Amino acid sequence: MSTPTTAAPGAPVVDFDLAQLRRDPYPAYAELRRTAPLAWVPSVGRHLLTRYGDIVHAEKLPEVFSSREQGSLLLRTVGPNLLREDGAEHRLLRAGAEPPTRPRQVRDLWADAFEKNAHDLLERIAGRGEADLVADFAEPLAAANLALVLGLRNATADDIAEWSRAMMAANGNYADDPDVWLRAERATDAIEEAVAEIAGAVRREPDGSVISSMVHADMALSAIQNNVKVVIGGGVNEPRDVFGVGAQALLNRPDVRDRVLADPSLWKRVFEETARWVSPIGMYPRQLVQDHEIAGVALPAGSRVALVIASGNRDESVFERADEFDIDRPHRPHLAFGGGPHFCMGAWVARHEVSGLAWPLVFSRLKGLRLDDGTEDHMEGWVFRGLTSLHVTWQAA
Amino acid sequence: MPIVIFQLPDGTERKVTAESGTALMQAAVSNGVDGIVAECGGNASCATCHVYVDEQHTALVGPPNGVEEEMLDFTAAERRATSRLSCQVRLSDALDGLVVHVPEEQV
Repeated sequence: MSTPTTAAPGAPVVDFDLAQLRRDPYPAYAELRRTAPLAWVPSVGRHLLTRYGDIVHAEKLPEVFSSREQGSLLLRTVGPNLLREDGAEHRLLRAGAEPPTRPRQVRDLWADAFEKNAHDLLERIAGRGEADLVADFAEPLAAANLALVLGLRNATADDIAEWSRAMMAANGNYADDPDVWLRAERATDAIEEAVAEIAGAVRREPDGSVISSMVHADMALSAIQNNVKVVIGGGVNEPRDVFGVGAQALLNRPDVRDRVLADPSLWKRVFEETARWVSPIGMYPRQLVQDHEIAGVALPAGSRVALVIASGNRDESVFERADEFDIDRPHRPHLAFGGGPHFCMGAWVARHEVSGLAWPLVFSRLKGLRLDDGTEDHMEGWVFRGLTSLHVTWQAA
Repeated sequence: MPIVIFQLPDGTERKVTAESGTALMQAAVSNGVDGIVAECGGNASCATCHVYVDEQHTALVGPPNGVEEEMLDFTAAERRATSRLSCQVRLSDALDGLVVHVPEEQV
């Protein structure tokens, strides 16, 4: 099977300025959904699939839409890992890694420590009266919680955050910048070393963590190391970004904020709506292992397709007024966690740490919390998307 | 080829014919039964294929398995004694005529 580097016959070709896509991809997605729901985009080197129904179709056919993408930047960065496997091989890796991220484990094993992490971070900034909630709170919180769930007690939250940034830069290194590869290599070397040390320790003394679970599922050290790299790569920015986007949405809508504060059961709706509205992961790649027709185009085996879940989550045929943040919209499943066997392993961790702990704590602890009028915060990214900062003020008394 | 009847929250019902050996969730999804979301595709990771087994059939269908048991605490609609994740219910000729109720919400 070869990997075509051009459009499949009959596929419309649409090109985008990637800088524009990073600033705001949603108008481009709306146009694609209307006119070319499967389109070859040369600057991305893939067919973008943008309608909800087509994406769900592809997710439900992993035997056609393979995760084993040839030439994947993720593979180059971290080596073979569970995100880029299919079928039985994927099931084994997932079964080894998943148990500590299941909801009951989150509640019983991690919730108390997550809460302490959030309190500690908040106490550090509470007296200041102003902060960038992305850099000063959400990112270090996500990193500290991740270290805990993974079992990396030999790494600091700063280590985890830097490793994550370095690998994420490499995953998007389409420009082949050697400095980016070098920085990622330093990060992955450090992760391998940290994981090897912990793997030895938990083999003797299991601790309920993801590394411990994989060790006792008899996975090879290299597989454990690579899976930890993937989890660190995604596990910081996703909860961080959903925290930031949702917090800003509520600060922009005091009416909604007041309702949620009066009825904390609504935090769950805020979470699911935020993940739909601005999905932290905007797209992920698949490669066809056989000929398959989708969105009216007969794609040959080997075709590369990007499932643009950020676009599916704004599909007007499924979500009315899809561009609006609306926690009261009819419950329809969003695509932010992906679907099928690769359904986000961190979904239950993220739900709890963000909507169960971080948002309620920040909104109750920081009195008079509001957006800082003097600064402008903006969202960035299309493969991954979130606020680059969230400047707020409150009464520091 | 067992027949399964899905009672939907709006009061209507869907009758589908399934292959023996397939999961109840698969029978729903393949036939486009509304309200069975099954985000994770049958891996008991997402709790979005929740059903209530009709009381006449609960004994026949049996109790939830270990992994499913804990996931049922986190369904969107309330858990009841008859709750199952439909991806963990294997259909057979013995379950011909099975009636299940689809809850109001899955997410």
